Amino acid sequence: MTRKRVSGRWADIDRRDFIRFGGASLSAALLAACGSEGPERAQKLLDYAAKKNESVERLIFRHTSMDHAKANVRAAGSEFPSYFIADTVPTLDAAGMAAWRLEVGGMVGKPLSLTLDDLMKLERKTQRVNHYCVEGWTAVVEFTGVSLRSLATLAQADPKAEYVDFQSFDNGYHESWDIESAMHPQTLIVYAKDGAVLPPAYGAPARVHSPVKLGYKNTKYLTKIVFMPARNGGYWTDQGYEWYGGV
Amino acid sequence: MVKRHHWIVRVTHWVNAIALTLMVSSGLGIFNASPAFAPKGGTFCCYPFEGKAFPAALTFGGWLEGSRRWHFAMMWVLVVNGLVYLSFVYLHGEWRDLVPRRGDLRDTWEMIRFYTFARKDHPRQGKHNALQKGAYFAMPWIAVLIVITGLAIWKPVEFSPLTNMLGGYAWARYWHFLAMTAIVVLSVGHIFMVFAVDPYSLRSMTTGGYSERLSPEERNARPFLNLLPKRAAPAVPAAKKPKAT
Repeated sequence: MTRKRVSGRWADIDRRDFIRFGGASLSAALLAACGSEGPERAQKLLDYAAKKNESVERLIFRHTSMDHAKANVRAAGSEFPSYFIADTVPTLDAAGMAAWRLEVGGMVGKPLSLTLDDLMKLERKTQRVNHYCVEGWTAVVEFTGVSLRSLATLAQADPKAEYVDFQSFDNGYHESWDIESAMHPQTLIVYAKDGAVLPPAYGAPARVHSPVKLGYKNTKYLTKIVFMPARNGGYWTDQGYEWYGGV
Repeated sequence: MVKRHHWIVRVTHWVNAIALTLMVSSGLGIFNASPAFAPKGGTFCCYPFEGKAFPAALTFGGWLEGSRRWHFAMMWVLVVNGLVYLSFVYLHGEWRDLVPRRGDLRDTWEMIRFYTFARKDHPRQGKHNALQKGAYFAMPWIAVLIVITGLAIWKPVEFSPLTNMLGGYAWARYWHFLAMTAIVVLSVGHIFMVFAVDPYSLRSMTTGGYSERLSPEERNARPFLNLLPKRAAPAVPAAKKPKAT
Protein backbone atom coordinates (compact mmCIF):
# COMPACT_ATOMS: atom_id res chain seq x y z
CA MET A 1 0.00 0.00 0.00
CA THR A 2 1.40 3.35 -0.96
CA ARG A 3 0.19 4.80 2.27
CA LYS A 4 2.70 2.78 4.26
CA ARG A 5 5.60 4.16 2.30
CA VAL A 6 7.36 6.78 4.32
CA SER A 7 9.27 9.19 2.18
CA GLY A 8 9.97 11.57 4.97
CA ARG A 9 8.65 14.50 2.97
CA TRP A 10 5.11 15.65 3.60
CA ALA A 11 4.91 12.07 4.60
CA ASP A 12 1.74 10.15 4.93
CA ILE A 13 -0.63 12.43 3.09
CA ASP A 14 -1.11 10.43 -0.06
CA ARG A 15 -2.86 11.44 -3.22
CA ARG A 16 -6.13 9.88 -2.23
CA ASP A 17 -6.28 11.86 1.00
CA PHE A 18 -5.36 14.98 -0.88
CA ILE A 19 -8.14 14.58 -3.40
CA ARG A 20 -10.66 13.60 -0.76
CA PHE A 21 -9.68 16.60 1.25
CA GLY A 22 -9.41 19.06 -1.55
CA GLY A 23 -12.84 17.98 -2.79
CA ALA A 24 -14.47 18.46 0.58
CA SER A 25 -12.97 21.84 1.33
CA LEU A 26 -13.45 23.09 -2.21
CA SER A 27 -17.14 22.26 -2.29
CA ALA A 28 -17.65 23.88 1.10
CA ALA A 29 -15.80 26.98 -0.02
CA LEU A 30 -17.77 27.19 -3.24
CA LEU A 31 -21.01 26.76 -1.36
CA ALA A 32 -20.14 29.54 1.03
CA ALA A 33 -18.73 31.95 -1.48
CA CYS A 34 -21.13 31.81 -4.35
CA GLY A 35 -23.57 34.29 -2.84
CA SER A 36 -26.50 32.53 -4.45
CA GLU A 37 -29.35 30.69 -2.83
CA GLY A 38 -27.30 27.54 -3.02
CA PRO A 39 -27.66 24.46 -5.17
CA GLU A 40 -31.01 23.87 -6.87
CA ARG A 41 -31.29 20.41 -5.36
CA ALA A 42 -30.98 21.84 -1.85
CA GLN A 43 -34.11 23.95 -2.29
CA LYS A 44 -36.36 20.92 -1.90
CA LEU A 45 -34.67 20.10 1.38
CA LEU A 46 -35.06 23.70 2.50
CA ASP A 47 -38.76 23.57 1.61
CA TYR A 48 -39.06 20.43 3.67
CA ALA A 49 -37.24 22.02 6.61
CA ALA A 50 -39.43 25.13 6.35
CA LYS A 51 -42.55 22.96 6.46
CA LYS A 52 -41.28 21.06 9.49
CA ASN A 53 -40.28 24.29 11.19
CA GLU A 54 -43.77 25.66 10.66
CA SER A 55 -45.32 22.63 12.35
CA VAL A 56 -42.87 22.94 15.25
CA GLU A 57 -43.71 26.63 15.61
CA ARG A 58 -47.45 25.95 15.50
CA LEU A 59 -47.00 23.16 18.02
CA ILE A 60 -45.33 25.36 20.61
CA PHE A 61 -47.61 28.34 19.94
CA ARG A 62 -49.61 29.32 23.03
CA HIS A 63 -52.33 31.92 23.52
CA THR A 64 -50.92 32.37 27.01
CA SER A 65 -47.47 33.47 25.76
CA MET A 66 -47.45 37.24 25.75
CA ASP A 67 -45.08 39.82 24.43
CA HIS A 68 -44.20 42.73 26.68
CA ALA A 69 -41.93 45.56 25.64
CA LYS A 70 -39.16 46.18 28.13
CA ALA A 71 -40.05 49.06 30.43
CA ASN A 72 -36.69 50.76 29.95
CA VAL A 73 -36.88 50.83 26.14
CA ARG A 74 -38.68 53.92 24.92
CA ALA A 75 -41.28 53.81 22.17
CA ALA A 76 -39.82 54.21 18.68
CA GLY A 77 -42.33 56.95 17.93
CA SER A 78 -41.65 58.56 14.56
CA GLU A 79 -38.50 56.45 14.12
CA PHE A 80 -40.73 53.42 13.65
CA PRO A 81 -40.15 52.72 9.93
CA SER A 82 -43.30 52.91 7.85
CA TYR A 83 -43.72 50.77 4.77
CA PHE A 84 -46.35 50.73 2.08
CA ILE A 85 -46.53 49.41 -1.45
CA ALA A 86 -47.91 52.49 -3.18
CA ASP A 87 -45.49 55.22 -4.29
CA THR A 88 -46.87 57.65 -1.75
CA VAL A 89 -48.48 57.15 1.65
CA PRO A 90 -51.94 55.71 0.98
CA THR A 91 -54.19 58.37 2.49
CA LEU A 92 -57.97 58.63 2.54
CA ASP A 93 -59.50 62.08 2.06
CA ALA A 94 -62.62 63.14 3.99
CA ALA A 95 -64.91 61.44 1.49
CA GLY A 96 -62.76 58.33 1.54
CA MET A 97 -62.86 58.25 5.34
CA ALA A 98 -66.63 58.60 5.31
CA ALA A 99 -66.94 55.74 2.85
CA TRP A 100 -64.38 53.51 4.58
CA ARG A 101 -65.71 50.34 6.16
CA LEU A 102 -64.02 47.41 7.80
CA GLU A 103 -65.73 44.32 6.43
CA VAL A 104 -65.63 41.05 8.30
CA GLY A 105 -66.74 38.23 6.07
CA GLY A 106 -66.10 34.78 4.71
CA MET A 107 -67.01 31.92 7.03
CA VAL A 108 -69.02 34.02 9.46
CA GLY A 109 -72.61 33.78 10.63
CA LYS A 110 -73.07 37.55 10.72
CA PRO A 111 -70.95 39.55 8.27
CA LEU A 112 -69.91 42.94 9.64
CA SER A 113 -69.40 46.27 7.97
CA LEU A 114 -67.99 48.66 10.54
CA THR A 115 -67.27 52.37 10.35
CA LEU A 116 -64.29 53.67 12.28
CA ASP A 117 -66.76 54.98 14.88
CA ASP A 118 -68.34 51.53 15.21
CA LEU A 119 -64.87 50.07 15.73
CA MET A 120 -63.96 52.64 18.35
CA LYS A 121 -67.14 51.92 20.30
CA LEU A 122 -66.15 48.30 20.80
CA GLU A 123 -64.19 47.22 23.86
CA ARG A 124 -60.72 48.63 23.39
CA LYS A 125 -57.39 47.26 24.39
CA THR A 126 -54.07 49.09 24.69
CA GLN A 127 -50.79 47.21 24.65
CA ARG A 128 -47.14 48.24 24.70
CA VAL A 129 -45.41 45.62 22.60
CA ASN A 130 -42.49 44.93 20.30
CA HIS A 131 -42.87 45.03 16.57
CA TYR A 132 -40.57 42.37 15.11
CA CYS A 133 -39.34 42.94 11.59
CA VAL A 134 -38.11 40.03 9.46
CA GLU A 135 -34.95 42.11 8.92
CA GLY A 136 -34.04 41.74 12.57
CA TRP A 137 -34.93 45.13 14.01
CA THR A 138 -37.56 45.74 16.61
CA ALA A 139 -39.55 48.80 17.58
CA VAL A 140 -41.47 49.40 20.78
CA VAL A 141 -44.94 50.75 20.13
CA GLU A 142 -48.15 51.31 22.05
CA PHE A 143 -51.15 50.25 20.01
CA THR A 144 -54.82 50.64 20.84
CA GLY A 145 -57.58 48.73 19.13
CA VAL A 146 -60.08 45.91 19.22
CA SER A 147 -58.97 42.35 19.68
CA LEU A 148 -59.68 40.27 16.60
CA ARG A 149 -60.98 37.62 18.93
CA SER A 150 -63.86 39.81 19.99
CA LEU A 151 -64.59 40.78 16.37
CA ALA A 152 -64.69 37.08 15.48
CA THR A 153 -67.19 36.49 18.28
CA LEU A 154 -69.25 39.44 17.12
CA ALA A 155 -69.28 38.13 13.55
CA GLN A 156 -69.98 34.59 14.75
CA ALA A 157 -66.99 33.22 12.91
CA ASP A 158 -67.28 29.55 11.97
CA PRO A 159 -65.05 27.47 14.26
CA LYS A 160 -64.14 25.46 11.15
CA ALA A 161 -62.40 28.48 9.60
CA GLU A 162 -58.68 27.72 9.75
CA TYR A 163 -57.27 30.80 8.08
CA VAL A 164 -57.87 34.53 8.04
CA ASP A 165 -57.02 36.93 5.24
CA PHE A 166 -56.29 40.58 5.97
CA GLN A 167 -56.88 42.78 2.93
CA SER A 168 -56.03 46.42 2.34
CA PHE A 169 -56.52 49.37 0.00
CA ASP A 170 -52.73 49.62 -0.49
CA ASN A 171 -52.35 48.26 -4.03
CA GLY A 172 -53.92 44.92 -3.20
CA TYR A 173 -51.59 44.19 -0.27
CA HIS A 174 -52.89 41.33 1.84
CA GLU A 175 -51.54 38.56 4.06
CA SER A 176 -53.30 35.42 5.25
CA TRP A 177 -52.75 33.96 8.71
CA ASP A 178 -53.39 30.74 10.57
CA ILE A 179 -56.43 31.07 12.82
CA GLU A 180 -54.46 30.38 16.03
CA SER A 181 -52.25 33.42 15.52
CA ALA A 182 -55.24 35.54 14.49
CA MET A 183 -57.07 34.59 17.70
CA HIS A 184 -54.09 35.36 19.95
CA PRO A 185 -55.22 37.86 22.60
CA GLN A 186 -52.53 40.31 21.45
CA THR A 187 -53.76 40.36 17.85
CA LEU A 188 -55.51 43.70 17.51
CA ILE A 189 -57.30 45.72 14.88
CA VAL A 190 -55.45 48.91 15.68
CA TYR A 191 -56.73 52.48 15.23
CA ALA A 192 -54.41 54.38 17.60
CA LYS A 193 -50.63 54.48 18.00
CA ASP A 194 -48.76 55.86 21.01
CA GLY A 195 -51.95 57.45 22.34
CA ALA A 196 -52.86 59.31 19.12
CA VAL A 197 -55.02 58.53 16.11
CA LEU A 198 -53.18 56.09 13.84
CA PRO A 199 -51.27 58.22 11.28
CA PRO A 200 -51.58 57.40 7.55
CA ALA A 201 -47.93 56.31 7.40
CA TYR A 202 -48.72 53.54 9.89
CA GLY A 203 -51.85 52.21 8.23
CA ALA A 204 -54.77 54.60 8.95
CA PRO A 205 -57.61 54.25 9.44
CA ALA A 206 -57.02 50.74 10.84
CA ARG A 207 -54.46 47.98 10.61
CA VAL A 208 -53.86 44.57 12.11
CA HIS A 209 -51.01 44.21 14.57
CA SER A 210 -49.73 41.34 16.62
CA PRO A 211 -46.36 40.73 18.25
CA VAL A 212 -46.72 37.05 17.35
CA LYS A 213 -46.27 37.77 13.64
CA LEU A 214 -43.37 39.35 11.79
CA GLY A 215 -43.99 42.88 10.55
CA TYR A 216 -44.82 41.95 6.98
CA LYS A 217 -47.75 39.79 8.06
CA ASN A 218 -49.43 42.77 9.73
CA THR A 219 -51.57 44.31 6.98
CA LYS A 220 -52.06 48.07 7.17
CA TYR A 221 -54.81 50.17 5.50
CA LEU A 222 -57.22 47.39 6.37
CA THR A 223 -60.43 46.98 4.42
CA LYS A 224 -61.50 43.39 4.85
CA ILE A 225 -61.00 40.45 7.20
CA VAL A 226 -62.01 37.15 5.63
CA PHE A 227 -62.35 33.88 7.54
CA MET A 228 -61.37 31.07 5.21
CA PRO A 229 -61.01 27.28 4.96
CA ALA A 230 -57.64 27.54 3.15
CA ARG A 231 -54.62 29.79 3.21
CA ASN A 232 -54.43 32.52 0.67
CA GLY A 233 -50.75 33.51 0.43
CA GLY A 234 -49.97 37.18 0.71
CA TYR A 235 -48.05 40.07 -0.78
CA TRP A 236 -44.61 39.13 0.60
CA THR A 237 -45.43 35.46 0.92
CA ASP A 238 -46.05 35.27 -2.82
CA GLN A 239 -42.57 36.74 -3.35
CA GLY A 240 -40.89 33.97 -1.44
CA TYR A 241 -41.06 35.09 2.18
CA GLU A 242 -42.15 32.46 4.66
CA TRP A 243 -45.94 32.25 4.84
CA TYR A 244 -46.15 31.52 8.56
CA GLY A 245 -43.90 34.44 9.54
CA GLY A 246 -44.33 33.74 13.24
CA VAL A 247 -42.35 35.42 15.97
CA MET B 1 0.20 3.99 12.35
CA VAL B 2 -2.63 4.32 14.85
CA LYS B 3 -6.27 5.27 14.56
CA ARG B 4 -6.38 8.67 16.20
CA HIS B 5 -10.05 9.55 15.86
CA HIS B 6 -13.09 7.28 15.96
CA TRP B 7 -15.18 7.45 12.77
CA ILE B 8 -18.05 9.07 14.64
CA VAL B 9 -15.76 11.90 15.69
CA ARG B 10 -14.46 12.28 12.14
CA VAL B 11 -17.90 12.33 10.53
CA THR B 12 -19.38 14.74 13.07
CA HIS B 13 -16.30 16.95 12.73
CA TRP B 14 -16.78 17.46 9.00
CA VAL B 15 -20.55 17.72 9.19
CA ASN B 16 -19.99 20.36 11.86
CA ALA B 17 -17.45 22.18 9.70
CA ILE B 18 -19.88 22.44 6.81
CA ALA B 19 -22.95 23.20 8.96
CA LEU B 20 -21.07 25.84 10.93
CA THR B 21 -19.80 27.53 7.77
CA LEU B 22 -23.33 27.66 6.40
CA MET B 23 -24.80 28.84 9.71
CA VAL B 24 -22.29 31.65 10.08
CA SER B 25 -22.56 32.83 6.47
CA SER B 26 -26.36 32.62 6.34
CA GLY B 27 -26.48 34.28 9.78
CA LEU B 28 -24.39 37.16 8.47
CA GLY B 29 -26.81 37.35 5.54
CA ILE B 30 -29.70 37.79 7.98
CA PHE B 31 -27.69 40.23 10.08
CA ASN B 32 -26.95 42.37 7.01
CA ALA B 33 -30.66 43.04 6.50
CA SER B 34 -30.45 45.22 9.61
CA PRO B 35 -26.85 45.36 10.84
CA ALA B 36 -27.55 47.11 14.14
CA PHE B 37 -28.63 46.10 17.61
CA ALA B 38 -30.41 49.23 18.82
CA PRO B 39 -34.20 49.06 18.85
CA LYS B 40 -35.69 51.69 16.52
CA GLY B 41 -35.51 55.08 18.19
CA GLY B 42 -33.09 53.77 20.78
CA THR B 43 -29.37 53.30 21.21
CA PHE B 44 -27.13 50.34 21.88
CA CYS B 45 -24.10 50.72 24.08
CA CYS B 46 -21.90 47.91 23.04
CA TYR B 47 -21.48 47.46 19.32
CA PRO B 48 -19.02 49.82 17.63
CA PHE B 49 -20.09 48.98 14.07
CA GLU B 50 -23.81 49.82 14.22
CA GLY B 51 -25.23 50.11 10.73
CA LYS B 52 -22.23 48.59 8.95
CA ALA B 53 -23.01 45.49 6.92
CA PHE B 54 -20.60 42.62 6.34
CA PRO B 55 -19.20 42.13 2.81
CA ALA B 56 -21.69 40.18 0.72
CA ALA B 57 -18.95 37.64 -0.06
CA LEU B 58 -19.10 36.44 3.54
CA THR B 59 -22.85 35.86 3.40
CA PHE B 60 -24.78 32.94 2.05
CA GLY B 61 -28.34 32.57 0.82
CA GLY B 62 -28.45 35.30 -1.82
CA TRP B 63 -31.20 37.38 -0.17
CA LEU B 64 -32.80 37.76 3.24
CA GLU B 65 -35.29 34.91 2.96
CA GLY B 66 -32.69 32.73 1.22
CA SER B 67 -30.38 33.18 4.19
CA ARG B 68 -33.24 32.59 6.63
CA ARG B 69 -34.22 29.36 4.91
CA TRP B 70 -30.65 28.03 5.14
CA HIS B 71 -30.24 29.20 8.71
CA PHE B 72 -33.46 27.61 9.92
CA ALA B 73 -32.70 24.34 8.12
CA MET B 74 -29.02 23.97 9.03
CA MET B 75 -29.72 24.73 12.68
CA TRP B 76 -31.24 21.26 13.03
CA VAL B 77 -28.21 19.64 11.39
CA LEU B 78 -25.89 21.52 13.73
CA VAL B 79 -27.88 20.60 16.84
CA VAL B 80 -28.41 16.94 15.97
CA ASN B 81 -24.79 16.53 14.87
CA GLY B 82 -23.60 18.23 18.04
CA LEU B 83 -25.72 15.94 20.19
CA VAL B 84 -24.38 12.86 18.40
CA TYR B 85 -20.80 14.07 18.98
CA LEU B 86 -21.33 14.96 22.63
CA SER B 87 -23.15 11.70 23.44
CA PHE B 88 -20.41 9.71 21.75
CA VAL B 89 -17.61 11.57 23.48
CA TYR B 90 -19.38 11.08 26.78
CA LEU B 91 -20.20 7.39 26.34
CA HIS B 92 -16.94 6.37 24.70
CA GLY B 93 -14.65 8.16 27.12
CA GLU B 94 -13.04 10.66 24.73
CA TRP B 95 -14.14 13.43 27.08
CA ARG B 96 -11.17 12.46 29.23
CA ASP B 97 -8.85 13.95 26.62
CA LEU B 98 -10.73 17.22 26.73
CA VAL B 99 -11.82 18.08 30.26
CA PRO B 100 -9.58 20.56 32.03
CA ARG B 101 -7.29 19.12 34.68
CA ARG B 102 -5.12 20.53 37.36
CA GLY B 103 -2.00 21.84 35.73
CA ASP B 104 -3.71 22.77 32.46
CA LEU B 105 -3.26 26.45 33.17
CA ARG B 106 0.45 25.98 33.70
CA ASP B 107 0.65 23.80 30.57
CA THR B 108 -1.17 26.48 28.61
CA TRP B 109 1.38 29.01 29.76
CA GLU B 110 4.19 26.65 28.76
CA MET B 111 2.66 26.23 25.28
CA ILE B 112 2.50 29.99 24.89
CA ARG B 113 6.12 30.23 25.99
CA PHE B 114 7.06 27.55 23.49
CA TYR B 115 5.27 29.27 20.60
CA THR B 116 6.89 32.59 21.49
CA PHE B 117 10.38 31.02 21.61
CA ALA B 118 10.66 31.64 25.34
CA ARG B 119 11.05 27.90 25.70
CA LYS B 120 13.07 25.55 23.51
CA ASP B 121 11.35 22.18 23.63
CA HIS B 122 7.72 21.32 23.03
CA PRO B 123 5.95 20.70 26.35
CA ARG B 124 4.94 17.10 26.89
CA GLN B 125 1.29 16.52 26.16
CA GLY B 126 -1.42 13.90 25.93
CA LYS B 127 -3.60 13.57 22.83
CA HIS B 128 -3.84 17.35 22.59
CA ASN B 129 -1.69 20.16 23.85
CA ALA B 130 -3.11 22.43 26.56
CA LEU B 131 -4.13 25.18 24.12
CA GLN B 132 -6.01 22.70 21.94
CA LYS B 133 -7.68 21.17 24.94
CA GLY B 134 -8.91 24.56 26.04
CA ALA B 135 -10.27 25.37 22.60
CA TYR B 136 -11.95 22.00 22.06
CA PHE B 137 -13.44 22.06 25.54
CA ALA B 138 -14.78 25.59 25.08
CA MET B 139 -16.39 24.91 21.69
CA PRO B 140 -19.35 22.81 22.92
CA TRP B 141 -20.09 25.32 25.67
CA ILE B 142 -20.11 28.19 23.22
CA ALA B 143 -22.30 26.06 20.97
CA VAL B 144 -24.75 25.66 23.86
CA LEU B 145 -24.79 29.45 24.26
CA ILE B 146 -25.41 29.82 20.54
CA VAL B 147 -28.37 27.47 20.68
CA ILE B 148 -29.89 29.11 23.77
CA THR B 149 -29.49 32.65 22.44
CA GLY B 150 -30.70 31.44 19.05
CA LEU B 151 -33.89 30.04 20.57
CA ALA B 152 -34.41 33.36 22.34
CA ILE B 153 -34.42 35.30 19.08
CA TRP B 154 -36.15 32.63 17.02
CA LYS B 155 -39.23 32.56 19.30
CA PRO B 156 -39.00 35.64 21.53
CA VAL B 157 -42.69 35.49 22.42
CA GLU B 158 -43.02 31.75 23.09
CA PHE B 159 -39.73 31.74 25.01
CA SER B 160 -40.17 35.22 26.49
CA PRO B 161 -38.85 34.19 29.93
CA LEU B 162 -35.61 33.12 28.26
CA THR B 163 -35.44 36.22 26.05
CA ASN B 164 -36.09 38.47 29.05
CA MET B 165 -33.44 36.66 31.05
CA LEU B 166 -30.94 37.52 28.33
CA GLY B 167 -31.94 41.18 28.55
CA GLY B 168 -34.63 41.30 25.88
CA TYR B 169 -34.62 40.66 22.14
CA ALA B 170 -31.89 43.16 21.18
CA TRP B 171 -29.52 41.83 23.81
CA ALA B 172 -30.31 38.22 23.01
CA ARG B 173 -29.49 38.99 19.39
CA TYR B 174 -26.23 40.56 20.57
CA TRP B 175 -25.27 37.54 22.71
CA HIS B 176 -26.03 35.30 19.72
CA PHE B 177 -23.73 37.47 17.61
CA LEU B 178 -20.95 37.44 20.23
CA ALA B 179 -21.13 33.67 20.69
CA MET B 180 -20.90 33.31 16.91
CA THR B 181 -17.84 35.58 16.93
CA ALA B 182 -16.23 33.45 19.63
CA ILE B 183 -16.76 30.25 17.68
CA VAL B 184 -15.44 31.86 14.49
CA VAL B 185 -12.31 33.08 16.30
CA LEU B 186 -11.69 29.62 17.76
CA SER B 187 -12.34 27.96 14.40
CA VAL B 188 -10.06 30.30 12.47
CA GLY B 189 -7.32 29.74 15.08
CA HIS B 190 -7.90 26.01 14.83
CA ILE B 191 -7.69 25.94 11.03
CA PHE B 192 -4.59 28.13 11.06
CA MET B 193 -2.84 25.86 13.54
CA VAL B 194 -3.80 22.76 11.56
CA PHE B 195 -2.05 24.06 8.48
CA ALA B 196 0.80 25.84 10.25
CA VAL B 197 1.67 23.27 12.88
CA ASP B 198 0.01 19.92 12.33
CA PRO B 199 -1.14 19.33 8.73
CA TYR B 200 -0.90 15.60 9.44
CA SER B 201 -4.01 15.97 11.55
CA LEU B 202 -5.95 16.58 8.33
CA ARG B 203 -5.36 12.95 7.63
CA SER B 204 -6.16 11.76 11.11
CA MET B 205 -9.44 13.68 10.98
CA THR B 206 -10.31 12.13 7.60
CA THR B 207 -9.11 8.52 7.53
CA GLY B 208 -8.21 8.37 11.19
CA GLY B 209 -4.61 7.36 10.57
CA TYR B 210 -1.81 9.06 12.48
CA SER B 211 1.73 8.32 13.45
CA GLU B 212 3.20 9.54 16.71
CA ARG B 213 6.41 10.20 14.81
CA LEU B 214 4.57 13.03 13.05
CA SER B 215 3.12 14.64 16.13
CA PRO B 216 4.02 18.29 16.81
CA GLU B 217 5.62 17.19 20.04
CA GLU B 218 7.95 14.79 18.21
CA ARG B 219 8.73 17.38 15.56
CA ASN B 220 9.08 20.19 18.10
CA ALA B 221 6.79 22.11 15.74
CA ARG B 222 5.95 25.77 15.99
CA PRO B 223 3.82 27.57 13.39
CA PHE B 224 5.58 27.08 10.03
CA LEU B 225 8.61 25.50 11.72
CA ASN B 226 9.63 21.84 11.74
CA LEU B 227 6.75 20.80 9.53
CA LEU B 228 8.67 17.78 8.29
CA PRO B 229 9.24 14.80 10.53
CA LYS B 230 12.69 14.25 11.92
CA ARG B 231 14.85 11.89 9.88
CA ALA B 232 14.55 8.34 11.07
CA ALA B 233 17.13 7.97 13.78
CA PRO B 234 20.56 6.65 12.81
CA ALA B 235 20.05 4.30 15.74
CA VAL B 236 19.33 1.35 13.44
CA PRO B 237 22.68 1.14 11.61
CA ALA B 238 24.44 1.94 14.86
CA ALA B 239 22.82 -1.04 16.52
CA LYS B 240 23.97 -3.30 13.69
CA LYS B 241 27.59 -2.42 14.12
CA PRO B 242 28.48 -4.75 16.96
CA LYS B 243 27.05 -7.67 15.01
CA ALA B 244 29.35 -7.04 12.05
CA THR B 245 32.48 -7.16 14.04
